[in-house]
Amino acid sequence: MTIRYLKKHAALEGHVSVDDAEALAQWLQKQTRPTVHLGKCEQVHGAVLQVLLALRPRIAAHPADPWLAAALRN
Amino acid sequence: MNQTDLLDQFVIEARECLEAIGTRLLQVERDPANTDLLNDLFRSVHTLKGNCGLFEFKPLERVVHAGEDLLDRVRNGSLAYSAELADALLEAMDYAARLIDQIEQHGRIDDSADGPARQHAQALQALLGGSPAAARAAPAQTAPNPAPGPDTEAGATGDSAPPAWLARLPADTLAAHHGATALRYQPEEGCFFKGEDPWRLACTTPGLLAIALAPAQAWPQGEALAQWDCYQCNLDIVLLSSAPRAYLEEHFRCVPEQVQLVELGDPAAPALPTAVPQVDAAARRRAAELWADQLALLARHSVAPGTVAAARLVLRRLLAWLVDGAVDAAVASLDALPAAPGAHALLAWARATGPAALADSATAALAAGSPDDDEGGGLPATDGNVTELGRRNDETAGAPANKVLKVGQEKIDLLMDLIGEMVVAKNSLPYLAQRAESVFGQRELAREIKAQYTVINRIAEDMQHAIMQVRMLPVGAVFQRFGRLVRDISRRLGKDVQLVIEGEETEADKNVIEPLADPLIHILRNSLDHGIEMPALRLAAGKPAQGTIRIRASQESDRVIIEISDDGAGVDPARVRAKAVERGLIPAERAASLSDHDAVQLIFLPGFSTAESISDLSGRGVGMDVVRTAVERINGGVELHSVAGRGTTLRLSLPLSMAVTNVMVVESAGRRFGVPMDLIVETVRVHGDDVHSFKQARTTVLRGRIVPLRALNDLLALDTAPLCNADGELAVLVVRVGTEPVGLLVDHFHGASDIILKPLEGVLAGLTGFAGTALMGDGGVLMVLNPKELLS
Repeated sequence: MTIRYLKKHAALEGHVSVDDAEALAQWLQKQTRPTVHLGKCEQVHGAVLQVLLALRPRIAAHPADPWLAAALRN
Repeated sequence: MNQTDLLDQFVIEARECLEAIGTRLLQVERDPANTDLLNDLFRSVHTLKGNCGLFEFKPLERVVHAGEDLLDRVRNGSLAYSAELADALLEAMDYAARLIDQIEQHGRIDDSADGPARQHAQALQALLGGSPAAARAAPAQTAPNPAPGPDTEAGATGDSAPPAWLARLPADTLAAHHGATALRYQPEEGCFFKGEDPWRLACTTPGLLAIALAPAQAWPQGEALAQWDCYQCNLDIVLLSSAPRAYLEEHFRCVPEQVQLVELGDPAAPALPTAVPQVDAAARRRAAELWADQLALLARHSVAPGTVAAARLVLRRLLAWLVDGAVDAAVASLDALPAAPGAHALLAWARATGPAALADSATAALAAGSPDDDEGGGLPATDGNVTELGRRNDETAGAPANKVLKVGQEKIDLLMDLIGEMVVAKNSLPYLAQRAESVFGQRELAREIKAQYTVINRIAEDMQHAIMQVRMLPVGAVFQRFGRLVRDISRRLGKDVQLVIEGEETEADKNVIEPLADPLIHILRNSLDHGIEMPALRLAAGKPAQGTIRIRASQESDRVIIEISDDGAGVDPARVRAKAVERGLIPAERAASLSDHDAVQLIFLPGFSTAESISDLSGRGVGMDVVRTAVERINGGVELHSVAGRGTTLRLSLPLSMAVTNVMVVESAGRRFGVPMDLIVETVRVHGDDVHSFKQARTTVLRGRIVPLRALNDLLALDTAPLCNADGELAVLVVRVGTEPVGLLVDHFHGASDIILKPLEGVLAGLTGFAGTALMGDGGVLMVLNPKELLS
């Protein structure tokens, strides 16, 4: 499991694969204040990125990958 | 099934698909509203594309894919089917056929095919912008854009203005990197299901400078969000890269149709770069990469002094390419560094001196973690293929099981040979029975052998029949390509011609059908070129403007008849006579004495041509005699009927099968010979007194006609006179050579026999006068004569 769904945020860690996208989307939609923690995230699949872009959760920590960080910041 | 088998299978199937596509395209052109035809056409193209996906035949796949896109638009009615569209598709399919030939010969596609494939794909894509089906009234107006040349930038679609999406990249980055390549990647919606990860693919782009992401359609809001499918890719990626175009093409090789490339020129540079600056730009880009490589090398934790020296040398040589104008100053500043600088000093200098872009890209590459770079590009590709394969399997599993078995012809030929031997072997049983009775006096045993023989005989005959059936092919197999031929030639000649094919399901042996293709093409070309008149002329003659060429196949007892008729001008017997005399083919007085029907047959003479000028279609004087030779080679005959002003009919009569030959066995000078039955006119006994001798020549009169007689013994150089029977009568076998009857004097007739004719091979191959040999039931060898060679 590369996503840990915690009380206040979902922690995306390592390589987040395509299979996690749907669960993440559902989890984010259920939250009142959706937050993700990307501090330990190395890489996300395009589908996961899409979820993050569409649902715009608050980002507790930005990822190290400059491209990913830039994509999420815009 | 190993790779080569798979490839062979692919080639066979691809050919079939292409053939089906060609036929369907023509049908759709005639009946564009027929959705069944369109769907069928689309399916064929789709199958072909699927098959290409199994192998790494990118150029082929690209062309076929473009065709599929186009047809998809036509199918859902957003694009009108037009003659231009059909032309482009036919051309693309021709090209695909050439690629298939290449694959068959070399097992792969030549690298040079990439350019033309791209052109074909672009020509097809250009048509995508055509008018929708609603505007069907004027579809011809939307002429396709001329296919861009190989050097044209693919992204610059016709105009030199930069595409709008370029503005999504940060302006300052764009300004800082002249000569970089901007790329727009629009992944297809279902790409996640193919195992592709567009984001990863974009992030691992070589020489990546900037990425701008946007949704292809605005992200859903509020209620719509709950319905949103996160597995429908909605990304639209624009990126900027300093890598050479070829690298980018290589990186995005799996999705070339989803990618647009624009090379950002120097604003000051001319819009159309000449060849030299292009080379120059490529060299510069490469130099920039090398520069970046050196930076990465120097930035490592521990760098050996030798490496530093080498890097310094490389940097020095690269300077000439990278630093415009102030080369000397830069070289001087490099030389100013201490003789053995530390890696850090050199790195600092290189960062300071090199173009800012280089430093940026180098750091970027380092930050992105270069070790992953290599596998990143490869992974999605493999995944894609695997899914493709899986899906294909699902499809085949879901479809009803295919009952057709594809077998190579050589296997059937082997079966045919074996059954031939079987027939011969079983024919020896009656001899055995006879021996059992006469030599060993075992009458009971002889009867049992005979009983067994009838059983084996029945099975063998059924078997032979069954194998012959396998070799049977509908004649329509060769007719298929004629639709295209007639369409192309009539368009070129400005004539309006309709091709009607009847009886294409008539079957005949594969060896009879296949050699027919070329003669039939000759005949059709002749009809199109000489037969059918121009529309205006036809109207003046009171005929419909559209000419009709009719091909009709039918079976008459053991012959297949193919008739090719046109409603054109017909053959003018007077003109044929004049031409034949003019070309010295027959003497003038003989020409004058010929009936009109016989006169038109003169066009089959070698070297005959009525055309005043040689066109690329006909008129070289090799037409009709080639037809006759080809047809006669498979034991067929050809006849021509013509009515001036009404049209011409050519009638080909062909044997059903060449595997079994019916021969008449004759005896001469104690030897047995076979004579093919279809050449025999009659067998008669002529009294010695009725033979007229004049010097060496002997003749007799049969049914009021003079028939020349030749002794078979003389022809075979056997030094015996023909035998007479008790009544003093000679046995005469009348055969037809060309159109003339000739009587062969033999000793005895032995009745007819079905044999399997084996052509003369090896040392016997040069033997003239014989058509081949056959094994008889008693183990003897029967030589089968070829009367035509024997008498000429």
